[in-house]
Amino acid sequence: MHLLSRGRARARELWERAVTGLYSMPWVMQLWARWAVQRSQRLDASAAIPFVPFSGPLAQARAALVTTAGIHLPHQPPFDMDDPEGDASYREIPGDVDLRTVVITHKYYDHRDADADPNIVFPLDHFRDLARQGVIGAVNHRHFSFMGHIEGPHLERLIQETGPEVAAKLRADRVDFAFLTPA
Amino acid sequence: MGLIARAIEAIGIPTVALSIARDLTAAVGVPRAVFLRWPMGHPLGEPHRPAQQRTVIFLALRLLLEADGPGILLEPGLRWRRETYQEPDWGLLAQIPGSRSP
Repeated sequence: MHLLSRGRARARELWERAVTGLYSMPWVMQLWARWAVQRSQRLDASAAIPFVPFSGPLAQARAALVTTAGIHLPHQPPFDMDDPEGDASYREIPGDVDLRTVVITHKYYDHRDADADPNIVFPLDHFRDLARQGVIGAVNHRHFSFMGHIEGPHLERLIQETGPEVAAKLRADRVDFAFLTPA
Repeated sequence: MGLIARAIEAIGIPTVALSIARDLTAAVGVPRAVFLRWPMGHPLGEPHRPAQQRTVIFLALRLLLEADGPGILLEPGLRWRRETYQEPDWGLLAQIPGSRSP
């Protein structure tokens, strides 16, 4: 019995690796994007896209990062990988975090490169450097991390609850612009 | 990610996003995005390639400053592993009118 379940876990691991390997190919990713558009019920092409112009100067602007790459601190609860419809929750990443200590919980993409250098999905080191150089004014004292694979009822929670919650926190922090990165 | 960008913009904070899934980003209606036809998990490029990663940030910040309306999906056409990158000239951003107006 034990052997059987171990075999199953191994098979699942191999399957997941094969799938994330496929999505590592840009053209597969674009096909997936097209398919995701076709099957989504939530997309309303006529809905107006919100827009506020950026008012400078950039050199005085406070920036915050928001990612859907599934990054979190080791002591924070990992994102829920058992629910096939994802997890709409988020984690606050402190601005002074050492990127070498963050972990990624996200089985829907191959994050070995991001584990080696989190800046490819969460470019905090670069933003700190831009603030030091005076290109931007400051980096916010906190950033926000989601996981990108969100479907079904969790999508509703993202739209109604957790997305607006993060937006309100950014406004409370007087953030001048947000930089968003996918996985 | 696009839905989160919309929520942040809706509360009054400008956003700029990276995209690796063009049609989805276009359909969701993201306020400003830079599309990169790169593998999933690599929106800023390859690990430990700071010039590449910073070029992406430069393009995104330039879009943030220059966008004059919603739904702009910039396609710089950067190829995967077939480009040579240099440190961007960050001073150019300060010359964009949007970055100077108070």
